[in-house]
Amino acid sequence: MSTDDVPLSSEAGDEDTPETDGAGAGADATPVFVWGTNISVQDVNAAILRFLRHFRDPRDAGRVDSVMDEGKYMRAIHRILELEGGESLDVDAHDVFDHDPDLYGKMVRYPLEVLAIFDIVLMDLVARIEPLFEKHIQTRIYNLKSSVCLRNLNPSDIEKMVSIKGMIIRCSSVIPELKEAVFRCLVCGFYSEPVMVDRGRVTEPHICQKEQCKATNSMTLVHNRCRFADKQIIKLQETPDEIPEGGTPHTVSVLMHDKLVDAGKPGDRVEITGIYRAMSIRVGPTQRTVKSIFKTYIDCLHIKKTDKSRLHVEDSMDTDNPNANKTTEDDFLTDKIEKLKELSKLPDIYDRLTRSLAPNIWELDDVKRGLLCQLFGGNPLRLPSGASFRGDINILLVGDPGTSKSQLLQYMHKLSPRGIYTSGRGSSAVGLTAYVTKDPETGETVLESGALVLSDKGVCCIDEFDKMSDNARSMLHEVMEQQTVSIAKAGIIASLNARTSVLACANPTESRYNPRLSVIDNIHLPPTLLSRFDLIYLILDKADEQTDRRLAKHIVSLHFDNPNIVELEVLDLATLVAYISYARKHIQPQLSDEAAEELTRGYVEMRKRGNSPGSRKKVITATARQIESLIRLSEALARMRFSQVVEVRDVVEAFRLLEVAMQQSATDHATGTIDMDLIMTGISASERQRRDNLVAATRNLIMEKMQLGGPSMRMIELLEELRKQSSVEVHLHDLRSALGTLMTEGAVVIHGDSVKRV
Amino acid sequence: MVGPQYDLVGNPLGAVRSTFERAASGGHEPVAAFRGKDWGAGELFRSFLFEQGGLDKVPVLDESNLGLIKPNTLVRFRGMVQDMLGNEFYVGAFKDGSTWRTNKFSDSSPFSMPHPCDSHLWERHLFHCVPVPGQNSWTHESSPGPDVRRMSSCLTSEQREKRKRGAENDAMEVSENCNGEASCTKKPKDDDAQISNSSPEVSMNEEHVPEMNGGDHHIPGSSFSCLVKVYDMAESQVKLNDVAEFIGVYTFDPELASPSDNSDDIMFDLIEDVTAQLPPSKVPRLHCLVWRSLSAHDFLSRSPAVEPSPILLKGIRQSLLSHLTLVLGNDELAAQCLLLHLLSRLRNKVDVVTVGRLSMNFTGFNRESVSVFGNQLNNLIQRLLPYSQTIPLSIEYLNTATLQPRKDNHSGRLVTGVLQLPQGTHLTFDETLLQSGSLTSKGVENTMLLKNLMESQMVEYDFEFYKLEMATDVQLLTLSEGKSNILPSDLIVPFRPSSVPAVNASSEELESWRWYLATVRSFPQSTETETYQTIQDEMVNAMRDDRNLGCSELSRWLTMAQITAASFGETSLSMEHWQMVKELERLRKERLQ
Repeated sequence: MSTDDVPLSSEAGDEDTPETDGAGAGADATPVFVWGTNISVQDVNAAILRFLRHFRDPRDAGRVDSVMDEGKYMRAIHRILELEGGESLDVDAHDVFDHDPDLYGKMVRYPLEVLAIFDIVLMDLVARIEPLFEKHIQTRIYNLKSSVCLRNLNPSDIEKMVSIKGMIIRCSSVIPELKEAVFRCLVCGFYSEPVMVDRGRVTEPHICQKEQCKATNSMTLVHNRCRFADKQIIKLQETPDEIPEGGTPHTVSVLMHDKLVDAGKPGDRVEITGIYRAMSIRVGPTQRTVKSIFKTYIDCLHIKKTDKSRLHVEDSMDTDNPNANKTTEDDFLTDKIEKLKELSKLPDIYDRLTRSLAPNIWELDDVKRGLLCQLFGGNPLRLPSGASFRGDINILLVGDPGTSKSQLLQYMHKLSPRGIYTSGRGSSAVGLTAYVTKDPETGETVLESGALVLSDKGVCCIDEFDKMSDNARSMLHEVMEQQTVSIAKAGIIASLNARTSVLACANPTESRYNPRLSVIDNIHLPPTLLSRFDLIYLILDKADEQTDRRLAKHIVSLHFDNPNIVELEVLDLATLVAYISYARKHIQPQLSDEAAEELTRGYVEMRKRGNSPGSRKKVITATARQIESLIRLSEALARMRFSQVVEVRDVVEAFRLLEVAMQQSATDHATGTIDMDLIMTGISASERQRRDNLVAATRNLIMEKMQLGGPSMRMIELLEELRKQSSVEVHLHDLRSALGTLMTEGAVVIHGDSVKRV
Repeated sequence: MVGPQYDLVGNPLGAVRSTFERAASGGHEPVAAFRGKDWGAGELFRSFLFEQGGLDKVPVLDESNLGLIKPNTLVRFRGMVQDMLGNEFYVGAFKDGSTWRTNKFSDSSPFSMPHPCDSHLWERHLFHCVPVPGQNSWTHESSPGPDVRRMSSCLTSEQREKRKRGAENDAMEVSENCNGEASCTKKPKDDDAQISNSSPEVSMNEEHVPEMNGGDHHIPGSSFSCLVKVYDMAESQVKLNDVAEFIGVYTFDPELASPSDNSDDIMFDLIEDVTAQLPPSKVPRLHCLVWRSLSAHDFLSRSPAVEPSPILLKGIRQSLLSHLTLVLGNDELAAQCLLLHLLSRLRNKVDVVTVGRLSMNFTGFNRESVSVFGNQLNNLIQRLLPYSQTIPLSIEYLNTATLQPRKDNHSGRLVTGVLQLPQGTHLTFDETLLQSGSLTSKGVENTMLLKNLMESQMVEYDFEFYKLEMATDVQLLTLSEGKSNILPSDLIVPFRPSSVPAVNASSEELESWRWYLATVRSFPQSTETETYQTIQDEMVNAMRDDRNLGCSELSRWLTMAQITAASFGETSLSMEHWQMVKELERLRKERLQ
């Protein structure tokens, strides 16, 4: 007999099969079979009893316990009896399978019949232990061996037990369903015995049962003495990961009873175990033709939420950026987490992650490592005193055009959990509204939108940072250190959270980077802002044929070959996103003592490096800001390994990353040493030295050439004199600034172009 | 398959049932094996439609003749899969006494089903199909069906009578169908076929086809749609937004049409399937026997069996290019770029990188020039491509339009948005209408959608609890004053017309251009390894000359070179084309300065 030939019951909701009624007695010698099958009721009865009595959790095997002589489910039954609360017994289908694969098979294939027997056996068992226990205990099966994809449900699954995963998209209100009806005689007021509802129908007594009355058609239903049960219908929809490309999600209705009502809310991801059922559509009571279409639903036996945290709630705020949602909604089913954890244990996970980040862009490995740190982020810290330290890492990329900076940004934006991608040109940074503006001359249209508030807890990618208006940029100060944005509107100043990492990229002002000038001179950014970036990378386009060739090859291969095969051992985008979100959410690494020690040692060493024996003035190679950056970086590095502890190697790598970044951006080209002043003030120590020398020379010159209160000299004349004396080239603006210093000292007075000693 | 000749158009179900009965009678328990399989009915229709030229005799179902076509006849429907409504389970076969009957390809059985009875439950897929958004009127000329009005005028009354007779006579009806009725349906239809063959009713068709470019269909529920029930295939074969032709049985069951008042059970409210919201009186049901997906080629009125030889293609290219030049006011550079743009299609997609697209931005337009050149250009595009739309990009439009398709979980249906488009659609944005102003959150959302579409050819669909990205392949053209930063295009061409366009193309020319565009776009691309090398060298040289060249620019050059090669009918790229593109780029850059 094929399994396809399960009788189709066109009535919904009835679970009891009359054929199994005799099962409770179990003593009859003649075997009773479930209709249409070769399942003997007695056999199943015995098997269930064996299972409930004797199943022992293999995990409990080692434990010596006073209740150890009882099986897992016997203990559960006792617990229910003690608490008198639970009305259901959860049965792990894996346990059933381990104990009796045959019973499991029968249960899945003929759930209606087997579960009815299950309930009877259970009640029997309970009655034997506690004869006075009156509540009905239901068996709830969960954790089936295999779960079906929602879209693969097909006619052969009907009347079978299935397990499906999905998302609840709609819930009906709770429907009271009549279970027992009580009738009252309108003539004499006699209350009838409760009448059980049989298959959705109640048979109204025709005659009053009271001997004295015997009135006919006098019985009326008394609502408040009837017994009702809760019932609810929910709609379950496929989760995004199960939908094939170019498809739309399927839905299925699920019928919930009693305790299961309101167990899930719309938006929850759940795993449902139940019986797939079909019922014919009744066209109408008078219709002769039965409609051939069937409606399907699942009678729910057990519901399990697969993610407790409802990430999407937080996510629903995010309307501005369509791409960001993808990341957070990726829920972490247990097997997925296992997979991620396995990944994290790989010895080369750090390199692998680096490779996976924008695999189409080569070189720039250290930049990618920095960006990776940004994605993982450090721990934000809030001291009891109220002081808080941000955990977000800010990165600035400065470089020549055509060095795929924008592509890196685009990629980061795809990866980041709430990424915002904006161009400095059209960002008002703080505004909550968006404007379209039109350049009156060129007619170019620009969208100005407030970006930072929207990327709270994400990465805000700002392209063309240098083109940002000063006003908007000044707001960034607050964002990057305080992590808030203040908005003044109608006399109210609101402070909004903007816990965002900033990833900015800027082009040099003179279209190409001039290595002879400092970073600040090259991009014209205020040093105060620059110092708030943890890492500043210079991406210079070194005319390197090798790189060019590689790029050319890559482009060509994109167009002609299938480039997917080329990349090996690279995490795909979805995995990478999942990996990052998991780490950000669940891993909060703490500094170990050794790591802290290493951090101090390294920092001191960095500071020492500035005190080179020959130099007169101290060069600052590191500041307190750097040590904060270092902590954040090492925390991010530990997160990448899913490690709860920051180890020494993380700190060492953090130092390396910082140094690489500084070497590129904070190296004083005059001396070849790292000088934080370059970033902090825009002037390197050697430059400052040079200026000091010039001031001294000017002072000497003035002392020499001019009398106190005597006639004034023209600036050009002074410059020529200086040039004669000095070995280095002196510009007019250098002289002007030197004279300015002297004027503040009170040594000279400047009137326009003439200088007068006082 | 040999057998009694049924009137497959007039009584397709008769043919289905007789093939079923024949198949069911042979062998042991054959019916059980029919689930998800064709027992010969599909084959019969396929050979009738495609081998015996039956396709021309099948009327095309559209808004104008809905209600005129009599139920249970064979119809055609061309449309886009707008929503997939999942599976439907139905009693596929049941045993009536000793004979097996089938319900396949129909809503309900004319035979009363004994209860209980031996039956098989089968499944079918439901697709909600709409006329293709932006479909241009010329595509309707390609394959006109016979005029339904003439066919049904003599049939509808008879049909009604038959309906009254009810199900009792059905056993008779089958036999009758092959004799009496078949002959009477055949006659007028044959006549009609002759009429439609001798004089293709182009004018009549155009008269009744609603103007699709108006965009009315985006207002949910306001326009014509069709519920297609597809059998015997994996659902994955059809993707959302696919354009296909479905040929099958048009059914209309008045019993199902009337809303059932006896739904006393509230609980069944939620189980109620979405089809309940698509009243059969407005949304016809089509039980699909045969379907095929449609490409641009299928819309050409006569597919010339000519081999696309380079010489032929070169000639057409030249005539098209000179026409484009005239339309663009003698701006040859713009015309060349436009040609490349019209021939572009998405070839590959790696992570965030899309290969093959070539969106274009004509700058230097103002309101006056748009009314002159823009309209000419749009008219031409409408007459060249199967689907095209023009979107006036104003602040108000951005703030109010529904671009994003959204799933309404309450009704269980996908509410369409402007950006739910079939592959290969052409969109023109008129940005000259855009003035300064503030955007609402919806406006921001819409601009983000457009930008995302431009940059990665993805449209995000809103499923309330999550978003799903759907891949698209849409050609995007922007007409703007200055460079558009809201819609960042690949190719920015300052438009410099020198004359007023006043040209009209003959229909033969248009036909050859349509064929040219469809053919060239579907060309496969291959490159010899040596060109591969040379191009790499060329790129390295170009980078040496101009350090500002980035990955995106070089990639675009290569795309343009490939399209150029294809436009000449070459399947492989040669250096000559590369040089042409470089020259084109040089001229374009001159203008940008």
